[in-house]
Amino acid sequence: MIELSGITKSFNSGRSNQFTAVDNVSLVVKQQQVTVFKGPSGSGKTSLLTMIGCMARPTSGRIFLRGVAAAIPFQGDGVEAVEITSLPERFLNEIRRSTFGFIFQQFNLVKGITVLENVMLPAYPTGEGRALFRARALGLLEQFGLSRHAAQKVELLSGGESQRVAIARSLINNPSIIIADEPTAHLDSKLSHEFMAIVGRLRGEGKSVLIASHDPIVFDSPLVDALVEMRDGAVLDSRGER
Amino acid sequence: MNRVIERHLNILEFTLASLLRRKGRNFSLLAMYLLVIFMLASLLFFVTALKREAAIILSDAPDMIVQQLVAGRQDLVPVAYAGEIARIRGVTAVTPRLWGYYYDAFNGANYTIIADDAAEPDRVSIGSGVARVRNLAVGDLLPLISYDKVPVMLEIGTVFPSASDLIAADLITVSPVGFHHLFNFPAGQATDLAVTVRNPKELSTIASKIASQFPGSRPVLKSEILRTYQSVFNWRGGMTLLLLTSALLSFIIFAWDKATGLSAEERKEIGILKSIGWETSDVLLLKFWEGAVISLTAFLLGTVLAYGHVFFLSAPLFAQALKGWSVIYPRFQLLPVVDVSQLTILFFLTVVPYTTATILPCWRAATIDPDAAMRY
Repeated sequence: MIELSGITKSFNSGRSNQFTAVDNVSLVVKQQQVTVFKGPSGSGKTSLLTMIGCMARPTSGRIFLRGVAAAIPFQGDGVEAVEITSLPERFLNEIRRSTFGFIFQQFNLVKGITVLENVMLPAYPTGEGRALFRARALGLLEQFGLSRHAAQKVELLSGGESQRVAIARSLINNPSIIIADEPTAHLDSKLSHEFMAIVGRLRGEGKSVLIASHDPIVFDSPLVDALVEMRDGAVLDSRGER
Repeated sequence: MNRVIERHLNILEFTLASLLRRKGRNFSLLAMYLLVIFMLASLLFFVTALKREAAIILSDAPDMIVQQLVAGRQDLVPVAYAGEIARIRGVTAVTPRLWGYYYDAFNGANYTIIADDAAEPDRVSIGSGVARVRNLAVGDLLPLISYDKVPVMLEIGTVFPSASDLIAADLITVSPVGFHHLFNFPAGQATDLAVTVRNPKELSTIASKIASQFPGSRPVLKSEILRTYQSVFNWRGGMTLLLLTSALLSFIIFAWDKATGLSAEERKEIGILKSIGWETSDVLLLKFWEGAVISLTAFLLGTVLAYGHVFFLSAPLFAQALKGWSVIYPRFQLLPVVDVSQLTILFFLTVVPYTTATILPCWRAATIDPDAAMRY
């Protein structure tokens, strides 16, 4: 479970151009569910996800990971909740790497290297043996029907294939939470449905999926367990267990 | 395997894949880098080897040479000095030497002619350089022109082997009689005196005694000759280095531009790496390896190629500039000798600045917030 308590994120604090992207959001995101953050552009969805995913710190408020198998060096077996907002940068990185997988709107694949190398990228700095994560990457490519593209450069892939590579990459470190930011923004309806089918599979494997989207194919999908509506940085409505 | 080592190996592997993406840029950089290291290392090897060669040759030289000066110019030494110098305590032998130079108008070469007591009259031994430029072999006649323009025909008894080329390439040894005849060299005089002493520590004392006993004489110690040679080779090396400076500067500007320039695409990549879990230190490690792979490859390859160029091919690129200036260039194989301290300096002057120049501009890009990539 991810618990957000009074989360606020402001940019340019104290200046004339101060802007509050997320305004005092308190929320509970349940595990092994698909949670969609719905709202127009600028509503604070992405900012909220970056803070949950340990990419940015809130200006105020706290985020707790409860019962999530986060790789925190000092976490003992008995510790159930971790307050991530006050952790040093090094631990945040460690948690981000091991607990979260990210799927970006633009896919953010590194051009010039192969599909396989792109999928393995998040595992390189972990210190894990290459043979291990390479085998895992090949398994993921097979799972997503991309095996024949493994040695291909990513720029030669179609939009749908690129996204599946991005999904495979997000899973390489076996995270328990997947964060996807507007994942269907560059996909047609067919590919968007395919994406949601993959999301369903991930949920079936016990992963929590958090999606920021204003695409009806996503937020109207029967796979969605919880819907959080946002506008102007605040939560308008939060519905769970649909 | 240790996770730290695995991390390095994994990032190094990605570095190699990453470098291959910009083949044109990186290979041209590597080629230029390699050329510069090759030139500098060749120069280093060559000068060091020549200095050592000179030291080896001079180890057989007499402990001291006594010359005669007249008005500051070298003049002939009376042979009678030899007996008197031999009586100085500590001196074991004094040998008057007859030697001089012969200009060969036929090909513009200068030969060194030495009188050898063991040589037969009308027979000579010649260096392989002389044999080469005059196209002569054992048994042929070597025509020389005496001081009074009369041709003297001397039979060639021996051609010195190429192994002795550094000292013997331009050498002709004749009998003392032949030497006197060829140059009209006055009897009772010598070019200089070779002095051998029992205890090398007494050399400077003996030299002072000779200088005071024979006004106008100039004792030259072996160590002084060695130092002169070292200076000559250092000077030649320095001159060559000066000529290379423009190439070196061009490379520095080129490398600096390539190493420090961070394209928008590279910045974006760093953002992506950060967003998928790479830490700032991981990105800097990647950039470190990028710089290190290029500069280390260039350094190692350049050094190995320079070694082959100098010690197996006798440095054809530098030979003319460094061996001397003459019609007769000695052909010889240098003994491999590597000055580790100089190589270390070369390493720190090339590999370290380049690698640092690669990392520094990435520092700012690598410290961006990971969420920046979410907003591309």
